[in-house]
Amino acid sequence: MLLSLKWLNEFVDLSGLSIEDIEDKLVKAGFEVESEKHLGLGTNLVVGKVLECKDHPDSDHLHVTKVDIGDEVLDIVCGAPNCREGLKVIVAKVGAKLPGGEIKAGVIRGEKSNGMLCSLKELNISEDMLPEDSPSLNGIEELDDCFEIGESDILNKLGYEDTILEVSIYANRPDCAAMYYMAKEAAAILDRPCKLPDYLGQANIGEKGSFKLNSASENCKHFIAKVVNDVTIKESPEWMKQHLRANGIKSINNLVDISNYVMLETGQPLHFYDLATNPNRNIEVRDDYEGNYEALDGNEYKIEKGDLMIMSDNKPIGIAGIMGGENTKILDTTKGLIIEAALFDHAQIRRTSNRLGLQTEAAARFSKGLEPEAQNRAVDRAVQLLKELADAKGFEETVEYGKSDYVPYTIEETLSHLNSLIGKEYTMDEAVSVMKRLGFSTTNDNEKFVVEIPSHRSMDLKIREDLDEEIVRLTDFDDLKSTLPLLPQTVGKLSPIQRIRRNIRETLTNKGFNETVSYTLVDQKKIDEALLPVGEAISLLSPLSDARKYIRNSLMNSMIETLTYNLDHYNNDLNLFEISSVYGKDVQSERLGLIMTGYLSQYKVLHNSIKTDYYVLKGVVLEVLDNLGYEGKRVLLKENDLDVKHFHPYQSVSILINNEVVGIMGKLHPKYMSSLKLKDVYYCELLLDKLVDKNPAKIKAPVINKYPSISRDISIVLKDEVKADDLVKTIKKAGGSLVKNAEVFDIYKGEHIESGYKSVSLNIIYESADSTLKTEEVNEVHTKILEVLNNSYGANIRN
Amino acid sequence: MDDLKELKLEALKKIQEVSDVKSLEDLRLELLSKKGKIQGLMAMMKDLTAEEKPKFGQLVNDLKTSITEAIETKKKDFEEVLMNAALESEKIDLTLNAYTPKAGSLHPLTLVQKELEDVFIGMGYNVAEGPEVELDEYNFTRANTPVGHPARDMQDTFYIDVNHLLRSQTTAIQMRVLEKEANHMPIKVICPGKVYRRDDDDATHSHQFVQCEGLVIGENITVADLKGTLELMIMELFKKDAKIRFRPSYFPFTEPSFEVDMTCHICGGKGCPTCKGTGWIEILGSGMVHPNVLEMAGIDSKKYTGFAFGVGVERLAMLKYGISDIRDLYTNDVRFLSGFKK
Repeated sequence: MLLSLKWLNEFVDLSGLSIEDIEDKLVKAGFEVESEKHLGLGTNLVVGKVLECKDHPDSDHLHVTKVDIGDEVLDIVCGAPNCREGLKVIVAKVGAKLPGGEIKAGVIRGEKSNGMLCSLKELNISEDMLPEDSPSLNGIEELDDCFEIGESDILNKLGYEDTILEVSIYANRPDCAAMYYMAKEAAAILDRPCKLPDYLGQANIGEKGSFKLNSASENCKHFIAKVVNDVTIKESPEWMKQHLRANGIKSINNLVDISNYVMLETGQPLHFYDLATNPNRNIEVRDDYEGNYEALDGNEYKIEKGDLMIMSDNKPIGIAGIMGGENTKILDTTKGLIIEAALFDHAQIRRTSNRLGLQTEAAARFSKGLEPEAQNRAVDRAVQLLKELADAKGFEETVEYGKSDYVPYTIEETLSHLNSLIGKEYTMDEAVSVMKRLGFSTTNDNEKFVVEIPSHRSMDLKIREDLDEEIVRLTDFDDLKSTLPLLPQTVGKLSPIQRIRRNIRETLTNKGFNETVSYTLVDQKKIDEALLPVGEAISLLSPLSDARKYIRNSLMNSMIETLTYNLDHYNNDLNLFEISSVYGKDVQSERLGLIMTGYLSQYKVLHNSIKTDYYVLKGVVLEVLDNLGYEGKRVLLKENDLDVKHFHPYQSVSILINNEVVGIMGKLHPKYMSSLKLKDVYYCELLLDKLVDKNPAKIKAPVINKYPSISRDISIVLKDEVKADDLVKTIKKAGGSLVKNAEVFDIYKGEHIESGYKSVSLNIIYESADSTLKTEEVNEVHTKILEVLNNSYGANIRN
Repeated sequence: MDDLKELKLEALKKIQEVSDVKSLEDLRLELLSKKGKIQGLMAMMKDLTAEEKPKFGQLVNDLKTSITEAIETKKKDFEEVLMNAALESEKIDLTLNAYTPKAGSLHPLTLVQKELEDVFIGMGYNVAEGPEVELDEYNFTRANTPVGHPARDMQDTFYIDVNHLLRSQTTAIQMRVLEKEANHMPIKVICPGKVYRRDDDDATHSHQFVQCEGLVIGENITVADLKGTLELMIMELFKKDAKIRFRPSYFPFTEPSFEVDMTCHICGGKGCPTCKGTGWIEILGSGMVHPNVLEMAGIDSKKYTGFAFGVGVERLAMLKYGISDIRDLYTNDVRFLSGFKK
């Protein structure tokens, strides 16, 4: 809300308060001051008279003037075309601070200039606030004779001196969007009396007429109309123009100005229809009109069912609550009018206004909600002002559809409840005095106070805690002490999934991974290319853009996007992970995405680097699982039959624990990668909720074998398709309990090895828990292993 | 006897002249091996008198000792030289780049959320979560914001259908906790999570952000308790003494409601560019849980009261780490991310 301090001062005496005091008090009472603006701005201004005005010898448009400012005569060079001898002007003296800067003594093209003759535009008044015939539009301001030479109270006298605070108003206080109630509020905040204009009942005049009023929509529950047969259009008085101006509204004529002024004062948007356009004297509110309609801004709007329309003789005459119609607007020729003050449903007005892209002051006010008695108050005020300023006559009786839904009520609060909620020791006097400042009728005894709630506060004051807030708001609250809740002891802890997340984050950051957080909302393409989508993707009803249309149902494409961004910015070795929920219709799942490309670690000086490949990814993923309590032998890596569209068919696996798929990993498919201009990207997506209840292992201290182990290496040549895992299994099975471990440490293909075959080098560790192994014992088992390998795979010992 | 002396001089001279380990070893064998010169001297013993024998033996032994010592000394000299040469050959450029084990990083939002979680877990709170695809009922209705309530306009929400939306506030989690724990007083939880609003992204707005709300319900909970709790939280987060002040505000689910300012963590309240000279920084919204909210969850609002607060995790991260553009948190440039070491 734009709060003009000049206007406020008419209701509440602000003398002795600085602007800072007022702002500070407003803020403490819950009204944030967003900005402080000044209508006219400039120091060191005086009225001067142009004694002499000559053309500048060295310019085609400048004038050289002598200006009398009372105590001296100044030489001033002025460029305004309307500068002439005898004119009374605004002089900014040397040292004057104007919005454009400070005025300094100088020489302009060889002529002395000790000041500036001002246009109002140079004094912070914007062009659209100036009357059409203002000299300031094309030159300097011309002052009339009521200004004395040397006088300095210029901006005030011109009606351009005002400080305007932009005050933000919370959704529970729509009443404060009206000057009438904001003044009441400010008086309560500043603890000063409030004098408000009294015009209640002014509309209770007029002859009975034939006007018919109806609402056919439940979204209009109250509507007041009043016919005024005779009005005179003229200019508005200066005080009204000023108040409008402070609110950024330009004066048009007395009728338009009155409707705007009443809206600012009472909060109720009014509309005046030209009476001549409504010969059959009827208005009906409907919500079933469909078609185009030209509003008074000259634009056509497409009206749909549900939009509230003002109709007469079944034809639209205005878009309810938003903008009047071109066909019924007030013209210079208007002789009579119909006053409309109605209550339209805020949600409906908001919907229509948003859809039409028509954001008017009226629509904004309806959208925020009106105080219940605003319609009656506004019509009273309008009638009074029309009589006073437009010589209005020929009033007809007020016609009303529905009525205000305000019924007076009280709220009761006790001192002990107040104090036990806030944690302070308020006295009854303090509590009651706040209610009085707010102008609420209050009765009380030692413990209890009962407060009558007026209509304009009926939207937000409903329960006793609401009264407590008023007390907190209007008394000093900075002295509230700090305590901690006194409650029975509770134990705070993380849930299993929260612990899993922390565990994963620790593992991966230790391995050099960066954690990312990307957007949940994604485009169609990311949905089309989803990896193991958790379900059918959910789309938004009204997305901000196509890029943010769906809720993602897998993480992979977000991670690829992050990877791509970084590659595009020359960040080449990427090891990223993200933990996030993904959603599908009626399903939700939490996932870990892990993406790698380039090097996991790199030490160029020693050429000692780890370039990411399938095995590096596998190692990282297995370590993540191991740290979660799922050691290698519980994790089954199976041929990937889940998704070979995005994964390399021979370099990817599905990951199973307890026979259930918990993820997928591998090299991303070269074809998919090249479509994204990427290559050699490795990815894993784990389904974290599946890891919560798979009975992870608890840590158990390993037992160190006190007997030495014996290590033997073998190299065997066998068919290329034999898998390392099978070899190891075979060795362990053949070797029995003495084989502590078997591991492939080299694979060779090429020269001396027949095509289709490979040479595999394995290391076998023999160990016994009960004795030191003898060479013969090991030899026996070792030979058996070689035999079995030979029989199973036709493996030949390589020399 | 003179032979011995001569032999000694000659041997020591030879030892001194030896130029490498191999020659030294040859010399050692020549002199000291079983068939060596010294041993050869012993053969002369038989020709000596019984009187001379021990004397001669003593002299030979002395000779043996001196030569052995000389050889050992020479050997050590050689070893020293060799070691020095070896060391020299291993001379490296100490200014070359170090091997830096690649340090990973947690996302700044995770870091802040983790700190919040730890502060409150330490005070006996649990960490509650809920779905981001949420029912309108939990996001709004139960938060005392029924259909048609003007406060629904305060947040432009991503709807999915009439009843479902992407939650616009973690208040939705609180409402679920209240319903579930209605019979398990007291309730002490924090509720971190992603939320979404129909805002265009710019330096200070993001259509997706992280909130962390806190909720305490029990007997005799006061605004003063809220103040103490928040002060403790802020001091833990910013590792500095901090004061807070309450400004009246409005949220449908709390009454009274407060905006909370903290003393500026940069200037300590003296006034600086970060706090625009005011000494205060707006940090969160809070209030006493509205009785309607408790009643809707089946909690007796006459017996129990409580407080709730909600803080923007991005805002905290931006203040704490000096981030000026909220979009940096979602761009995931590794040069940015790598700055947030654990």
